[in-house]
Amino acid sequence: MTRTKRPWLLTLVAGVITAFFLLPLYWMIATSLKKPDQVLVSPPQWIPSPFTGDSYSRALDKPMLGQALLNSVAISLGVVALTLLLAVPLTYAVARIRMRGSGAMVLSLLVAQLLPSIVLAAPLFIVLRQVELTNTLIGLVIADTTLTLPFAVIVLRPLVRAMPVEVVEAALVDGCGLPGVLWRVVLPVMRPGLIAIGGFSFLLGWGEFVFGITLNSDPKVQPVTVLLNTFVGQTGTDWGPLMAVATLVSIPVVCVFAMLQRYIVGGLTAGSVKS
Amino acid sequence: MSLQVKAREPLKAVEKTETVRRGRSLAVRRTRAGYVMSAPALLFLGATMLFPLAYNFWTSVHDVAIGDLLTGDWQFSGADNYDSVASEGAFWHAVRVSLVFTAGSLFFQFTIGFALALLFVKTFPLAGLFRSLMLVAWLLPPIVSGTLFRWMLDADAGAYNELLRLVGLDSLAHNWLTDPSTALPGVIAANIWVGVPFNMLLLLVGLQSIDPTLYEAAEIDGAGPWQRLRHITVPMMKPVAAAVLLLGLIYTFKVFDLVFVLTGGGPVDSTRVLPLYVYEIAFKLFQLGRGAAAGTLLLVIPLIVAIVYVRRLRKEGAT
Repeated sequence: MTRTKRPWLLTLVAGVITAFFLLPLYWMIATSLKKPDQVLVSPPQWIPSPFTGDSYSRALDKPMLGQALLNSVAISLGVVALTLLLAVPLTYAVARIRMRGSGAMVLSLLVAQLLPSIVLAAPLFIVLRQVELTNTLIGLVIADTTLTLPFAVIVLRPLVRAMPVEVVEAALVDGCGLPGVLWRVVLPVMRPGLIAIGGFSFLLGWGEFVFGITLNSDPKVQPVTVLLNTFVGQTGTDWGPLMAVATLVSIPVVCVFAMLQRYIVGGLTAGSVKS
Repeated sequence: MSLQVKAREPLKAVEKTETVRRGRSLAVRRTRAGYVMSAPALLFLGATMLFPLAYNFWTSVHDVAIGDLLTGDWQFSGADNYDSVASEGAFWHAVRVSLVFTAGSLFFQFTIGFALALLFVKTFPLAGLFRSLMLVAWLLPPIVSGTLFRWMLDADAGAYNELLRLVGLDSLAHNWLTDPSTALPGVIAANIWVGVPFNMLLLLVGLQSIDPTLYEAAEIDGAGPWQRLRHITVPMMKPVAAAVLLLGLIYTFKVFDLVFVLTGGGPVDSTRVLPLYVYEIAFKLFQLGRGAAAGTLLLVIPLIVAIVYVRRLRKEGAT
């Protein structure tokens, strides 16, 4: 792009915009650190004084919060594992192997992303109940993976296609069986995509709500998003602890994003704009 | 690779038919391997997506209440459920709310996202940091974003009302989400906040792919910034913009959790978008047949979008 005159002026403008944009996040953290009697005062305190972890200890006193956080961690990791396990072989097959119907498969995967999960929720409930997986964490992992799997294949496919044919052929000729080729040649090529999909699947599993509320009615196996929602609904919302929970739920998101930023951004833009 | 081929050359005469045969059986074996590799994922999606969709349709043409679910005693009812949903004022109200919600969200997500992309495409100190920080807003679970905006838009202690008071617009400050006339704009505002970073990111990638020499040439020819925007940036960005709007339309039309936590569809139905309407019939009233019919109707718009999308991809030869 063209040279930028006065770059610091742009930094200032962008900084002000970013600050305004992130105000809700600041407000969440600030509220979570206020003393209970300071939360609802008008005019509000822009900077909490004194800082206190009071809301956090009250939030953690709530029954089920620890359990719900653990459930969400388990669900998210399960979604990552199941998505990668199913997506890698399918991606290789549709990207690299000539077979009938692979074009149709890719198209259906594109269309699958358009489905509103609420439409799937009721029939999925019935299906999962047949196999006794409602009110289990595994059931939620399965449900969430329906959302990540099509996207995973769409993001990974261009990576496999970009790999030179000769590399795979050579490995095959060298007597490396197809599983060996997948493991030693294809997987390393997919690495950035796998990291992107891993991060994305984790975030999706962590933030998913529709299946959490429709498939699991037992609080013992509900994700933290559902628990957060039940706190909001209560009369006379207790904003301090609520913002403390919201902050706790946001921390893994920020960590995962900070660690995998490069891959996630690259993978998402690749998968979204061009397939 | 080429080295190996050369080493085999002395055996050419014998090898030729051999390789042809081997090649063919290899191809067959590979195709078979392809099906084997696709099978787990396809079976999975068949069970968790295709079957539920078919089941949903099946349910929608039967008369099913929660009790019938256990007995399996379903009466075929043809299009009755569809008739019943479509004759309900609440359904059409939800359609209208969804359209306003989607149109409002898309318009502002896109324009704000585009403006920010134009800013962030320039090189200046800390640009990368600011951009990443904004993306966090988009990756937050929608339930968290919804909770945040409930708090931000709260009547007395809400930060936005306080900002309005600070700039002297006291009269505008009120409880946005409990007033039927402002609840929908409030929900849309929250959804704009969620969607802006994604729009910005994709549009930014599009901007970065425009050849910089175009701008240089235009500048030499004496084109001002406005002309360059109009005659280079806008036309070059059309394909990316179309993709972003299409994706935005699909994502926005199915938004459930954000609205659910912000207002739950209220006050007095003012924010009851179509997915919430489906949820209430199926999971609150347990009218499974009608819920399934409403769900199928909810698929109509994404389906139209999908057809447009697939056609466009076909035309570009991307698939």
